[in-house]
Parts: sequence; C-alpha cells; structure tokens
Amino acid sequence: MPLLGEMKKNYRVLNQSKPRIDGVDKVTGRAHYAADLKFVDMVYGGCLRSGRSHAKVVKMDTSKAKSIPGVLAVVTADDMPKPKSCAGNAPYMYLTNEVKYAGDVVAIVCAETKPLVAEALAAIEVEYEDLPGVYTIRDAIKPGAPAVHPQYPDNVFTDSLYPIRKGDVEQGFAQADLIIEREYETQYIEHSYIEPEAVVCIQNPADGVMTVHSSSQNPFFTRRYVADVLGVGMNEVRVFQETLGGSFGGKEEGVGMVAARCAYLCRLVGRPVKMTFSREESFLESAKRHPFLLRYKAGVMKDGRIVAWEGTQIDNCGAYNNQTQFMNSRASIHSCGAYTIPNVKTDTYGVFTNNIHGGAMRGYSSPQLLWGQEQFIEEIAEELGMAPLEFRRINCLKDGTTNATGTVLDHVNIQEIMDYTTAKTDYQSKREAYKAQTSTKKRKGIGLAIAHRGCGLGAESPDASGAMAIANEDGSVLINTGLAENGQGLKTAFAQIAAEAIGVPYETIRFYGTDTQAIADSGMTVASRGTVMGAQSTRKVGFKLNEIMRANAVALGFFKDQAQVKGPEDIVLEDGFFHSVKQPETKVAFKDVCNASLWSGRQMAAYEWFMPPACIQDHHTGQGVAFPNYAYGCVVAEIEVDMETGYVDVQKVTASHDVGTAINPALVLGQIYGGILMGQGYAVTEEVEVSNGKVRNQNFENYIIPTAADMPEMDVNIFECDDDRGTFGAKSIGEPATEVVGAAIANAIYNATGKRIRENPANLERVLLGKKLR
Amino acid sequence: MKKMTLNFFLNDEPVSLEIDENARLLDVIRDVAGLTGTKEGCGVGECGACTVVLEGESVDSCIVLAASVEGKHVMTVEGLSKSGQLDPIQQAVLDHHALQCGFCTPGFLMSAKALLDKNSNPTRDEIKMAIAGNLCRCTGYQQLVEAFEDAAKQYQAR
Amino acid sequence: MQKLSYLKPESLQQALEYLNQYNAKVKPYAGGTDLMVQLREGSSRLKDVEYLMDLQDIAELRGIEVKDDCISIGAMTSHTQVNESEVLRRYVPFLSVASSTVGSTQIRNKGTVGGNICNASPAADTLSPFVSLNARLTVVSVDGAREVMVKDAMEKAGKLKLAANEMVTRIVIDRLDGYETAFIKLGRRKALAISRMNAAVAVKLEGGVIADVRIAPGCVFATPDRVECAEALVKGKAPSAALFEEAGKAVSEEMIKRTGIRWSTEYKKPVVEALVQRALCRACGLPED
Repeated sequence: MPLLGEMKKNYRVLNQSKPRIDGVDKVTGRAHYAADLKFVDMVYGGCLRSGRSHAKVVKMDTSKAKSIPGVLAVVTADDMPKPKSCAGNAPYMYLTNEVKYAGDVVAIVCAETKPLVAEALAAIEVEYEDLPGVYTIRDAIKPGAPAVHPQYPDNVFTDSLYPIRKGDVEQGFAQADLIIEREYETQYIEHSYIEPEAVVCIQNPADGVMTVHSSSQNPFFTRRYVADVLGVGMNEVRVFQETLGGSFGGKEEGVGMVAARCAYLCRLVGRPVKMTFSREESFLESAKRHPFLLRYKAGVMKDGRIVAWEGTQIDNCGAYNNQTQFMNSRASIHSCGAYTIPNVKTDTYGVFTNNIHGGAMRGYSSPQLLWGQEQFIEEIAEELGMAPLEFRRINCLKDGTTNATGTVLDHVNIQEIMDYTTAKTDYQSKREAYKAQTSTKKRKGIGLAIAHRGCGLGAESPDASGAMAIANEDGSVLINTGLAENGQGLKTAFAQIAAEAIGVPYETIRFYGTDTQAIADSGMTVASRGTVMGAQSTRKVGFKLNEIMRANAVALGFFKDQAQVKGPEDIVLEDGFFHSVKQPETKVAFKDVCNASLWSGRQMAAYEWFMPPACIQDHHTGQGVAFPNYAYGCVVAEIEVDMETGYVDVQKVTASHDVGTAINPALVLGQIYGGILMGQGYAVTEEVEVSNGKVRNQNFENYIIPTAADMPEMDVNIFECDDDRGTFGAKSIGEPATEVVGAAIANAIYNATGKRIRENPANLERVLLGKKLR
Repeated sequence: MKKMTLNFFLNDEPVSLEIDENARLLDVIRDVAGLTGTKEGCGVGECGACTVVLEGESVDSCIVLAASVEGKHVMTVEGLSKSGQLDPIQQAVLDHHALQCGFCTPGFLMSAKALLDKNSNPTRDEIKMAIAGNLCRCTGYQQLVEAFEDAAKQYQAR
Repeated sequence: MQKLSYLKPESLQQALEYLNQYNAKVKPYAGGTDLMVQLREGSSRLKDVEYLMDLQDIAELRGIEVKDDCISIGAMTSHTQVNESEVLRRYVPFLSVASSTVGSTQIRNKGTVGGNICNASPAADTLSPFVSLNARLTVVSVDGAREVMVKDAMEKAGKLKLAANEMVTRIVIDRLDGYETAFIKLGRRKALAISRMNAAVAVKLEGGVIADVRIAPGCVFATPDRVECAEALVKGKAPSAALFEEAGKAVSEEMIKRTGIRWSTEYKKPVVEALVQRALCRACGLPED
C-alpha cells in the first residue's frame, strides 16, 4: 500500500491542498462566532448552578432578584412547563429542583446587561438538602449504593449494555498455555475547544419562528431541544450554525441545553437574548470524555497466538445519559483491538454517578480502550517473553481475518503500516537499548501502538445524508448539506468533492454553512463521518448536476456542429468546460451553458440522498457487519522521563495513517498534528479532577493542555489505498489521528521506567510514585 | 457604574469611548468599539484568544484594565491588513493551513505580530515561546510555527 | 465584576495620599495579571476595595539602578524587562531565567516584579531568586519609608505585612559579583505553567571551594526562605554531586520540620532534593545527569 503521492488516483481537484474556503474570514477577524453577534434590543441570559453533587432544592426565593431594576425574568423549574429534556432514558434537565451533579441548573435569569445578570444570579436565595451521592464506577456498582436515577436502581445503565460473543471463550482459555489478567482506568478529560458555548435567540414577532444562532456542532440536534422546550414544531425553529470555535464532540447536548434555555427566555421577554458560557460553566456543563474501567483477560499459546479474550468495559456516564449507548456499541466492536482472536467475550456498559457526564469526545471510546488494550498487549508479550512488535505481527488483523464482530475484513494494511513505521523509527533497536538504561536521572523510552477504526457511524445509526447543488447563471455553484463545519475543514473538503464530481474548478464552489430551514437533517457531523460518508450525497449530487448540465449543453445546441455528439453521454464536463470525447480541443464554457439554461428554464439544481448499505449486528452477540470498512493507524512515541520528578517529555511522535484518499493533504496533516497533541495531553497532563462530584479544575490555569512549547517533533506518514467504500475512497482521520497516541506514550513510559501506569494520565506524581497523590 | 471617557489609538485611529471605569480592555474592544475579531476564551489570561498588541507588546486584553490604556496604541486583528492587503503573517497562516476552527487565530496572529516586529529573525524556539501563551486545540501548532517562520522571511525582506 | 473607580496618580506623593485617604478601599494596579483575575472571580480579599489605583505614571517605581553593592529594581518593572535587562543578566542571571518562566509572553509583558511579590503567592516564580538575593522591599507611606526583607514580608499566602497606607516602590537585591547562579523550575508543561516546585541557588567558588552559597527552594515553605542549614553544609567544601545530594536532603528535612508531613510530602520530598542538587550542580558546572 502506497504513501500519499505514490498511488495515481487521477483526480482533478482532490489530492490537492486547496486553500480553506473560510480562511480569509478567519485570519481577518471577520468570521462571526455566535458570541460576536449583536441585535437591536438584545438582552442577556444566565444560569444559576447548584454547585452541589446531589441535593434537593428545599426553598428558593427569587423575589430579590426579580426586584432589581433591569432584571426582566427569573425562571425556575416550577415555572417551566417542560423542564425535562427530550433526550432519552435519563434525560438532561433544562432546569431542576433535584440536583444530580454540580453543573445542574436551578434557575435562569434574563436582564438588560451582563453585569445585571450576574447581580440577579447572586440575589437568588436557595436552600438545599444534600443527599448521599455516588461518584466512582467502583462505588456505583457496589450493592446498596445510592441510586442516581430511580429507574436504574443499581446504577447500571442497562440500555447501554453491548455484549460480544464470538467463538467459545471458555474453550479458548482451556486450551491456552498462559492466561493473563489486567485492569486499567482512565480519567475525565475536557474537550477544551477555545470557544465557550454561545447562543443568540430571536423570535420573529409575525410568524413566531424562533431563530437560534448557535455554536452547535450539530444544528439539527440543537433544534430538537429548542422545539422541545418551547413545545412547538421543528418547522417553527430555525437554527443557524455560526462559525464554530472547535467542538470535538462537545457542542452537542451542551449547546442544546443553552439554546433551549435561551430560547425560552427569548419568548418570555419578547426580545433577542444572548447566552454565553464562561469557561468555568463550560467545564461544568459540557460533556467530558467518559472514564472507563477496563478489565481484560487473555489466553495465549506459547507460539504467540491469542486464543481467548475476555473483557469488561465499564464507563462512567455521570448524572445523565449522553450517547453512552451509541458509544458503547463502538466500544464493544473494538473491544479486542486491532487483533484477530477466535474466542471473544466482552461486556460493555455504563453506570450512573453524581458527576459531570461523559459524552462524545474525539474517539468515542477508542482513546480509552486503546490506552488499556495496547498496554495489555505489551504486558502479554512480556509474559510470553516475546517482542511486542512480533506479538502484534502474529495477532494483528490481516486480509480475510475477522475482528471482534466476526466480519471478514479486506484491504487490511495495518501490518504494512506498522512495519513501515517501526522501521522508520528504528523502534526495535531503540526499545532494546532503552530497556537497558539504569540512569536514575533521565531515561528515554519508545512506544508503539496500533489501531483499527470503523469508518463513519456503521451499525450505530444510519449513515445517510442529503445534499443540494445549485448552478447559477454565471457558472458559480452553491452546495448545501446538513453536515456542519466544525473547524476541521468540512466546507473545504466538501467543495473539493463537489468540484470533482461536477467537473468545475474548486474556486467556483461555495458552501455557506448550515441553516436548518434550508436543508434536511443529514445526521450529526460526528464519528469522523463528515467526509467519508456524509459527503457521499455531495458526490452523488455533483454527479447528478454534471449529468443535468451535460444534457442541457446538448439540448441547447452547444454541440450542434459536432455530428458525432448524439447525446449527453458523448460529452464530458471537466475543469469548468464541456467538450466532446472525440474533439476535446473544442471547449464550451460551463458558465455559458448555465446562462443559457437559466433563460430557457432548464433545471440547474439537484438534491440527492445517499443511503449506505445496511450494517447489521446481532445485539446479543455483536456478530455481523458493524462498519462498511476500517481505517488503520500506527503511532510510535519517543519520550524522555525525568526519573527524579516524574516529568514526561514527549519528544517525537511518528504517526502513520491509512486515509484511503487524502481529499486535501494539508487538512489531513492538520487533523493528525492536532490529534497528536490532544493524545499527548490525554496521556500526560490532562485530567478533570473530580472529588465527590465537585470539579477542582474549571479553567485553563489548572487544566493543563499542551502549548506550542510542548509540541514534539512530528513525523506524519499518510497512506492511501484503493478501498472505494468511502467518498472517492476517503477513510476517517479526525478520530484515528488522536485515538492511539496516548497508548503509544504509555508504552514508551514503560520502556523508559519499567513501571506500568495503569491509571491515566501519567502526570508527575503518578510517574514518580506509581499512584495518584490524592 | 461610574463612566469615563477613554482616549486611545485603536488600529492607528484615535478613538474616544465612553466606558465603565472597571471595564476590561477586551470588553471595550468587542462591545464598545464593536471589533469582535478579538475573542474571549477563558477570562483569566491563560488561553490568549484575546491577545492584542499594546504599545508593541502582546497582552491578554481580558486582564488589562481598559482605563490604563489612555493615550496608548492598541492593535487588534482588524488592524493587521491594510487597505485590503493581508499582512504577510495572515497570508502565511492561510498558505500553511495553520488554522482550523479559527477561534484562537486572531490571538496567534497578534502574538506573531508583536514577535516579528521586535525580531524578524526568530529561531523556532523563540517562535514557540512567543506563542506558548496562545492555546490551540485544533492544529497541534505545527503548521502555525511553520507559517510564522515563513512570515519572518517576508518581514526580513521588508 | 465589582464596581470600582479608577485613580491614576501622577506622582508618588499623590499615590501615597490616596492610600492614606482611602486605606484598604484602594488597591494598587500594577500589571493587573493577578488582580484582574481575582476581580473576575469575586475574590474575598478584594471585598473592601472601591478604587483601583493605576501606578504606571509613577517614575519612582520604574527603572533598574546598579549601585556598588546592590541593585534597585522599580516595582513596576515587567518580567519581560527583567528578563531582557543586560545588567540583571550579568549580575543575577538566575533572576532573569526565573522571570522568563513566568506564565506566557503576554503575562510577562504586563506582570511586574512588584506585583508578583505583593500578590504574595508562595508559588510566584521570582520569589526564590529574590530570597536568595536577600531582597528587601522599599515600603513607603506618607509617614516615610522603611525596608522589609522579602522573606519576612509575607504574613501568609495572599497577604503581605503592609499597613493599609503603605506601598512597595522598589526591590533592592544584593549584587552577586563573582557568583554562579541557577534557577530550576518544575512545572506540568514547558510554558504557561505554575511552579510545582523550583529551586534558586547562587554559589561563589574560590580556589575550588564553595566560599559562599545561597539556597532557596520555591513552593515548599509557607513563606519563602533560604535554607541556612543546607548552606552551612556545603560552605567551605569542594563542589560534588554527592555533597549537593546532602544539601538537597538538608532542604527536605527543613521542609518537613517547618511544614510537617502533609499529603504532598511523599512527592515533594524526593523532588525538592533533586531540584536543589541539580541547581547546585548547574551553578557549579557539574553534570546534572
């Protein structure tokens, strides 16, 4: 399988680092984010959070707050007709009197100015009765633990249980020469997008339509909450996604909650309302990466084959359910890593606690699982006395083998990528040399980790989407789809895909962003599906418009002088010009055909829907087809550990990924560089510290993400292949870019120190003492 | 709240603004002057999204008392491009794809501006330290550092 | 944010009069990097404050003056100015290094050495070099001036022992001619980091023997201080890694003596030993690893 550039893909617009569609707006400060908007008569909203982990509101007095001049409204759960949101079995509360975690909101206010909002919030008097809570996974599953939700008396979120039953695991263990068991635990981490959540709502006094300008990762998702809280039809809510300042999975439910509260206030006071989160509020209410407790047991043969794999993967949902069941579906599918094992038995489920809640975050369970699995693999190899690279070669997925779901795989290139990356980094010899270090001051380490990742949504939910393309009389083209730009470059990639499919230059395409009244819901922009599957409809509509415009060109007589042209099939449209197959030098401009089409009333727009082949798994065994295909990746991390302080210096990261087709190589690089730094933070410094549900670090002075000074040397290798199941052959990269980095760093730490870190992250205290300080 | 009149130079233009005496420079720039390119990410001087250039030095405008800039020169991202012509720093960021969501971008541009005006031949480490007070969660900083190295060459040639 | 009025004295005399008139109701505004954060969070230590007094126009608070036996640094000197000062780099390089590790470029451009000390955070990066330089504060009020040693100035974390009408105008430090110095900071990342711990040392070598030494660990005592027992241990001896290991142990013993065994001691004890040893090795040109 070739590196980028070695494989001739013959695209005219793809495989090129086209400039970002939104680049100039973003470097000039013109790009509008939701918090930048201002409207006539606009007022401000704010939220009162309990700060309690589990409590009942006994008494609330809002009279003082209401009496402050300039305060327009104070709303409590008792005032709101529907304080409980529509989100599933353990739904979030727009407002509540029964506090289940520190971020729960007990009142909202609206006032003329931001300082008045703060004054009003401070003037609300609340009396609470604290209740016993439950905070850790281990405590939540103890018999007799206080129940977070009465409908889940033992705190187990039963709807999120995803089993895998492949082969006969008992028989596998019976035949094994060696059985090994280990336990790993991961932490809460925060998305840390730099833009805090922001929403502005305006209601049209004439037709009542509530317009929401928001920092939504998924505008249609936000619309659902707004319609729910207002009790109106979805067609009465219009959500505009403003330029989004980063999300990584974090601006889904969280922004839905803000938008719902803001819209409620907007309708109540009859004026535009802006609600923005402080960074502290963002830390408290936005979802976090779920902590996982991972218990694995493997049976292996002396020759290195893994013959049995058993696992329990329990995640901490926090106080409310935030996509845990979907995430656990993915977690179950990937529960034995990128390895083919004949007998697998794993259970994945969530438990409720009185904490901030876990939710979608770049990887959707894979960074946690891989961090455990890829260390476990090395621990097994060590017990066997086998080099971890060799052990991976024996067990990793290959063409014709099956993963945990029993799917027979093709286009598997993981071994090739791993061999390439380990050779390039001189992994084997460095690893051996570093193992022999004895210095008590500083030691180097090198670590390897590999992954496979199901592309798109797979069996989690339908990976369908719709897209529209409109040609204008001047030859410019508008595209529109329900997928959303989250900063990753989706508009740019989609414009390239549309240009490729239509046969026009990239520069003629514009994609202005998502408006829920202009296009149909295409599902969420999540799961690294945007380009891979979400753009399938854009590609399809591009081909459709190409076909329509070729027909127009022929019907309008542009090729009447070329006798051999009988119909649209005899001409092609590329780079913005039509020409016949036989006479390519005679060109007809796309814009001339557009202009003539308009004035002759011909169709010059199209809408297409794409529905992928179904992915179906048996829910009781997890067996079946979980994803159309998989992306493969390998990361080697090189570090230095200060043995006297526990400081881990990440010095070089070599990342190799199979992206199928690099639609825009510079954007791919950006995803991978960013993913590496996020993985580094996950493995070394980042942890949202919770103590009995209270969050200790709520801002960037003590939630430590990497800075430019912490950036390691990065060597990125982009691989392409000819698997054509994604859009123009593209595979996922947003999440693969980060998911396996933490595991590689953890293995490098072990290589340096000889001590396993089985609780993430490897911060100063854990590396030096082997445990968390408090 | 007591009001005062603040006179200073915003992107080389003299301005006279009615402000609260305890206002932050960030709020004056965004809400009073209406220049929203400067962003608020943390409010405590940690993320750098609100970075502006004050008298040639990068500062976090969320922790600068607006009243204290009386008579001084403040430059925001809106002041970087002159008569429709992008500054070489902006162009380099575009050329290197050194942005994604773009929310932190204005702050990075201003930190780079302060650096390159002072030192147009910085080492890679000097660039990294100059932008270490600007957090970015999307890019991993690599393309930003490359962009500023490229922009430095343009600044040297000027 | 609380309602505050803005004062901008044009002279030291005027500033002192404001202080005398308003006492605790007035808070000097230096660089603002800590103060603005405290205002935002509604810190209780500012609950009585009604006026912010901007010190930027007061000439007496500016400038770095080198004298025969000491250096006087204006309280309003920014960390960037300290870092870039040629004379400070020459005479007290570890102060320059320490100032370069404060926060970020933006913070160093605004934050001042005076503010850093007056904010009285035990984790302030410049405290340990200042303490090892026997730094004293020039404290002034309408009633006159006095000097206070930095190590004695802090009442507790967040509070200096100043009368309500007093302010700090300058920091005076020893001029360490012929000393080698080192500052080592351990943070959780390479920039934008608070000191988990740090160590500042200055060593004077004469004829291969340590003639004088100052050892000041950071973030280990409730108020910053030198560790005289560790200094006494190495004085008069030839520098070696083994000797400095002993010095590190003396520092950790002193830490435990003063603060007792705490939840963090398990980590801090070995690490402060290592940092002190390394700093001494670095100052003496010995290999650190």
